[in-house]
Order: sequence, then structure tokens, then C-alpha cells
Amino acid sequence: MSCIETKLLSKSYGIINAVDGIDLSVNYGKIFGFLGPNGAGKTTTIKLLTTLIPPTAGTMKILGIDAIRSPLEVRKKIGVVLQQPSYEPTLSVEKSLEKYGMMWNVERKIRQDRVEELLSAFDLAEIRNIKNDELSIGQRRRVQVAREFMHDMKLLFLDEPTVGLDPSARRGLLDFIKDKAKDGLTVFFTTHLLNEAEYICDEVAIINKGKIIAIDTPEELKNKFGREKTIKIHLDTVRKDLSDLLIGIKDYELDFNSGTNITIRSNDSEEVLLKILQILTANNIVIEDLSAIPTSLEEIFLSVVNKSNASSD
Amino acid sequence: MHPVIRLVNRNLTISLNKGFMIWQVIFPLIYIFVGGFAYTALIDSVSYGNKTLDYPAYIASGMIGFNIMNSALVSGIIIWNDRRHGMFEQILVGPFTRTHYILSNVYTIGIIGLISATLITAVGYPLFFESIEFNFLTMPLLVFASVVGSILFGSIASIISTRLKSSEGFNVVINTVFLFFAFVSTAFYPAEGSPLPLSIAFYFNPLTYLVDVVRAGIFGNFDTFVAIEMLVLVTLSLTLFSIATKLLAKLEL
Repeated sequence: MSCIETKLLSKSYGIINAVDGIDLSVNYGKIFGFLGPNGAGKTTTIKLLTTLIPPTAGTMKILGIDAIRSPLEVRKKIGVVLQQPSYEPTLSVEKSLEKYGMMWNVERKIRQDRVEELLSAFDLAEIRNIKNDELSIGQRRRVQVAREFMHDMKLLFLDEPTVGLDPSARRGLLDFIKDKAKDGLTVFFTTHLLNEAEYICDEVAIINKGKIIAIDTPEELKNKFGREKTIKIHLDTVRKDLSDLLIGIKDYELDFNSGTNITIRSNDSEEVLLKILQILTANNIVIEDLSAIPTSLEEIFLSVVNKSNASSD
Repeated sequence: MHPVIRLVNRNLTISLNKGFMIWQVIFPLIYIFVGGFAYTALIDSVSYGNKTLDYPAYIASGMIGFNIMNSALVSGIIIWNDRRHGMFEQILVGPFTRTHYILSNVYTIGIIGLISATLITAVGYPLFFESIEFNFLTMPLLVFASVVGSILFGSIASIISTRLKSSEGFNVVINTVFLFFAFVSTAFYPAEGSPLPLSIAFYFNPLTYLVDVVRAGIFGNFDTFVAIEMLVLVTLSLTLFSIATKLLAKLEL
């Protein structure tokens, strides 16, 4: 049985289909990345899955529970960090964590232990007595995410949790989530930062205009959509005549920034590279550096979204 | 612990800060002791039923109703802050329903209203103890006034907080409405002797009814008119509470 299972899940606002018949199946103990451009339907999907808004059509089971019939039963078992900030302005950081635990009916002794644990894990100990209203955006975000770990849960929804965090805090949070997933927590994670998704997610879905346009592991997505590879050749001398020498060869670019750079971007990049190397050798041109850039999830994301936009236009 | 009790606990923690307590206690005290005694030179006494009250005793009893109304503002402020700071949505993705949220606000304002009424009664007691006539019939009137008054004014504050979107708008509307309630009422001065349009306007104001019930509870002059006022308060409270509940239930996320 899947942890999250939706069939033809839809949400319409008038004539706009914010979420348009999506089918999802997320396994237990996995970190599932949900990616998409602005306005693609990510936040609406999270609002549907967390039962904050009802769907217009379709079915959804969360942790085996019919989320449309028994939304409260679902909410008792999940944690949610929404995209928008949420905080009690008059409470201190420590009090916020403590009260949030109380709201979730966590026993006092467990609450106290968890507060200390989270203050340390999220680097909040120094600001424990400062009121939320006086915190920076990043600090407030850390409190918001830390707070959610005050209670037990089987499934955690994180809607762009790293927004506003500095690189060190961001990495710390991602590692913390990874550790929790190792202990069995299932995580539904949306982000704009694709290197984050690549770093943390076991499986990734890309949504555009309310529809899921790709879904697989990051590696499989690269295999499926990442045929285009990038290879860079650097020459230490400026060779303006190179464009004449490379006439007839496609899929490359030249620039003369600190020497000569040849960038190959092609589905047949090895073949293009071979042709260029032959020409360079024949003309006694010395290569200083040659590197292949691995296909990133970001490139795949852009490629898939652009194709989806083109086909819908 | 029941979800509503947990939310009430949370509401009280975020509401009962130093600033609020000072505002709740100091503000009426200034009215009672500064206003009360300063105006004694102008208003020596006020006839009330078959009694004659000193002005400080009159205003002190009015301040109980006034404070119940002020406490009810907490409801609007909680909802407004929860919406503004994202806690409304956060609570609703937690182990709570909208009904839990609404009920927790009702209980919170009821508790704060009772605490405020008790505080002001205790503080004002030396001023009206000579005229006081507590008995088993009139004592429940004070509790009635605290609970019904809290629900009534809490519902008004909740309705305002669900309808407005900007902080400025919320502050302007809530201050204007509550300023009208405070000063176009019998909390500070009696209807008798006021210009006719003003004394009529007093009775378009629920605070007047609330203050009359409080005074009936303290000075023991319960009569048919007070009973009608109580009926009006209950009807109005229930109507406004249903409107507030419907608006909260429909609030878009």
C-alpha cells in the first residue's frame, strides 16, 4: 500500500484547473520531490493532500485513510510546513516550540526534551528567548520547520522549506530530513532549487499547468530526458580562426574568455567531440582542458517543462 | 486533553501578555478613579431606579461592562493575527477542525471576560460597596453579562476580522466601532437627562443593555425592563455568533 495515493485528483477555481487530474503514488519511507515552475499547482496539490481544501474531483488516500471522508484522521498523523510563514508573534522561540507540542497533545516531559533537542539541531539555542516577531526571516523559517518535529508523524509535507535559509542552514535542514527519512518518515517535498531535490529526493514528479508531466527517480529522469550532454574544451590561446576550421560541425559554441572555449551541447556530443578533436589535432592546436558536465536535474526540469509548454501552446 | 482546551490554552498564552493586562486593568482604572472623581464636580450623583448613586460608583459599574466588551476584542485580534501570521492555516492542517477553532475563541473570550469583570468588580468594589445589593437572583446577572457580552462583542470583532484584509482597515474599523459602543452608551453617563437623540442612540447600542444588566446585578434592581434587555442580548448574541461562525467556516484558504 502507498503512503500517498491519488487518482485523477483535481481542483478547479472557475474555469482554471489549478490541479488537473493527477495520479500520484508515494511509497512509505521515501522522500518524494514535487517540482514545478511558479503557478504550476504545487501548493494547491499540497493543500489538497493536507486536506486544507477539498478537491473538485478525484480520490486520495493518505496513510491508507480516505482523506476526503476523514480529513481530521489524516491531519492527526501528518506534519505540514506550509510555504507561507506561520508564527505566534508574541511568543519566544522556546515557548513557540513548547506550545506547539502542547497543541499536538505531546506529554510535558517529552515536550521539554524535544524542545532542547530541536533548539540544538536547528541552531536556535542562542535565540531561544527572543520573540518570533523580532527574528529574521531565515530564523523564523527555522523555527517553523523545527516546530513541526515537536510531534510524532508518519508523513511530512514540506512546501519550499528552505526559502530564506542560508546555505549552511539549508544543508543542515536537508541532512536532518534525510536522517528522519532513514528512520521511516515519508516526506513530500516541494522546492524550486533543483539541486536540493537531486540531493535529497528518492523520487521526483514534475508538475506543469496542473498536470504531472514526468515522474521517476532523479537518475531515471536523467536517463530518459538527459541525452543531451555538455562537453567543454579549453585552449589557452585565442584562436579566432577556429570558427572557419570548424565549419560544417553543429551543436557547438565558441567564446574567447581567457583563451578559447568550445562548448558542445548535443544528443551526440561524443561524435561531435571526436570530429572537433580531429580538426584540432590536424591543426596542431593544443588542448589545455577538457571536461564533461554531468546532466543535472535542473536541465531536465527545464527541458521537460519547455516541451510541455510548447505542446500545450 | 480535548483539542478545544488545547487551543484555549494556546489562545490564553498568546493573548495574556503584559501589554494586554495593563491595558485591561489600567485603562478602566483611569476612567474609574480619574474620570470618576474628576467628573464628580459636575455630576454629583446619578439617580438609578429607586437609588441615588455617586458618580464614581456609577462609572465603576459601567466599567465592568466596558471591560467585558474590551476583552471580547481579543477574539477579533486572535483571528486577525492568526490570519496575518499564517497560524489559521497552520492550525487547520493540524489535529483541529474549524469548529474547534471557533469554540476555542468563544471559550477564550468568555474566560477573559470573566477575569476582567472580576478584576474590575474587585477594584471598583470600594466605590460602590455602600449601594451594593448582591443576592442569589442578582449574582448570576453578572455571570450572564460576562458570558453573553463576551460572545456578542467577540462575534462582532470576529466578523470584522474575517471581512477585512489590511491591518490599517482592521484597526480603523475596530477602533471606530468600539469607540461608538463605548461612548454612545450608558457606561459613562445615564440616558436620563441626555439630549433625546443621544438617549435614543444609547438603546441602539448593545453595550447599554450589557451595562444595565451589570448594574442590575450589582445594585439589585432587576425588573421587567432588564429582563427584556437580557432577551435582546441573547437574541443578538446568537444571531451575531451564527454569522461569525458562518464567515469563519467559509474563510478561504
